[in-house]
Amino acid sequence: MSFLQIVEGPLFYIAAAIFLIGAIWRVIGIIKIGHKRDLAPPKGSGKVGFVAGNLRHFLPRKIFAKRTWVHIIAGYSFHFGLFALLLFAAPHIDFARDRILGFDWPALPRWGFIIAAQFAFAGLIMLWVRRFSDPVMRLISDWDDHIGSWLTFLVMLTGCLALQESHNALKAIHMLFVDVWLIYFPFSRLMHAGTFFLSRGYTGATYGRKGMTL
Amino acid sequence: MMLHRLIAAIFFIALMLVSVTTINAQSVRPPGNAVNQSTDEQIGTSNTLGPDSQSKYWHDLRQGKSGLSTTGRSGGLLIQAQGEQWRLIRKNYIIKYSGWVLAAVLVILVLFFLIRGKIRLKGGRSGQTISRFSLPHRTAHWFMASIFIMLGLSGLILLLGRTALAPLIGKNVYSIFASAAMQGHNLFGPLFIVALVWMYYLFVPGNFFKMVDLKWILKGGGLIGGHASAGHYNFGEKVWFWAVAIVGLLISITGIILEFPWLSANLQLLQISTIVHAIGAVGLIAFALGHIYIGTIGMEGALDSMTTGDVDVNWAKEHHDLWYEEVTGEKSATHDQGETGHAQVYSQDKITGV
Ligand code: HEM
Repeated sequence: MSFLQIVEGPLFYIAAAIFLIGAIWRVIGIIKIGHKRDLAPPKGSGKVGFVAGNLRHFLPRKIFAKRTWVHIIAGYSFHFGLFALLLFAAPHIDFARDRILGFDWPALPRWGFIIAAQFAFAGLIMLWVRRFSDPVMRLISDWDDHIGSWLTFLVMLTGCLALQESHNALKAIHMLFVDVWLIYFPFSRLMHAGTFFLSRGYTGATYGRKGMTL
Repeated sequence: MMLHRLIAAIFFIALMLVSVTTINAQSVRPPGNAVNQSTDEQIGTSNTLGPDSQSKYWHDLRQGKSGLSTTGRSGGLLIQAQGEQWRLIRKNYIIKYSGWVLAAVLVILVLFFLIRGKIRLKGGRSGQTISRFSLPHRTAHWFMASIFIMLGLSGLILLLGRTALAPLIGKNVYSIFASAAMQGHNLFGPLFIVALVWMYYLFVPGNFFKMVDLKWILKGGGLIGGHASAGHYNFGEKVWFWAVAIVGLLISITGIILEFPWLSANLQLLQISTIVHAIGAVGLIAFALGHIYIGTIGMEGALDSMTTGDVDVNWAKEHHDLWYEEVTGEKSATHDQGETGHAQVYSQDKITGV
């Protein structure tokens, strides 16, 4: 079995299983904690607050907008770029069809794939720069944050280096980083991708019950 | 309890593994071109580029497939007389000397460090800091630096790799490096233009030359003739800024011509572009080595301005006295005779205690 076969085969499936089980396990764990019963009579709907809390956080607060616009643009650029290339790049769709799902869907044209990657790279680099050059961010960041950023960066970089699709070695290196990323995900803050809606919703629901507008 | 969970998890993983691999065993389809390839190449998903694949294009070209030279690329012209001239200039001058230039810069920096050592703060650190670069300034700078480093490394692999790397690692391994460098270089290139415009916009105030720069030159930046006064940026920094701006623009324009060759059917323009692009890039990399040296191990207290955004008050007084005076309204002891602090305030201007 070649190195590529290992990282695309058994290692990928082990990593995917750890990713799935670990992530589901953590989300269930958080939901099971529940919340303290609020004895005060509710002045509004917790459920509406949950949804509103989730939506409201997609937009910056007016008073912070001037100070935060760089990382807000960077955040959107990174996440949208990443989702677009993850879900709509032709090689990814082929991989999903051949190795996981058995069906495919329309892919972005090649230039769309590249532009999505450029947005993702620009955003990720800016977010990481902010992590070490903003004094507050530096104080609250630890190894986990940096490892998460670097692993994501390396997955993207190795993918970009393999764009010619002509060398198995480059594809194998990309897949190796994908596998490591999948395994690291549930045990790290990368997990925010699966938990952010809970924390935003929790705050939103608390405010909602108290009748506060968000 | 913990053990139960662990066993359950392992069981689950094993179950998923078996089920997924069996499903997969049925769903893998052979790649379209499986017949001609070795077993190693048959694994995994097929190349999604199809007939547009560069490797396929070159493969067909080498096999002597007809019709390729008239595909519209470069006006259907595959061989052109100036090509040989261009090849020789590239081989005998650019590739040959760029390696030497970069090596020489490195040697000079090492020698400078050994002889002069780190430029220390004469008064030591005061413990008081002053704001120098805002967060957008720092973000733009490091955004540019990251992109520049990736482009520099991939570009050097492309320019010098065949001469310097291939004999060491072998042609096959080098072809992998070259493919990776090419793709990385093409993807990051356009981001350099974004970084350049952003950086220019934020850093251009304060980088115009003034009379004080002439005095700074005459005093060799303080190396000869005592302390040299400077505003927010000294002469050396201003030259660096304009080198990045002007050479960066040249590299960007020639880069676009090279990345999108179908924009122009003129082969000569492409050849001139590769030459300008390479000379400009090697010059900028050489300059950047000096910049990185002075920003890190070369000078005590310099890096703070690009990490925290604040510099020690003593650093400001010793290296940018006119800027210090402008920001604080105080006179610094290092101030040159006849100079007034007329630098403008370019970043947040409050002094903060540490
Ligand atoms: C990793 C390597 C680098 C380090 C450690 C570094 C460090 C620094 C530092 C400390 C400053 C502030 C100097 C001051 O306070 O006056 C600075 C300014 C600057 N840097 Fe960098 N830098 C690096 C790479 C780059 C690159 C690659 C570029 C451009 C291609 C660049 C362009 C600039 C510019 C234009 C300025 C503003 C100063 C001026 O206007 O001349 N830097 N850098």
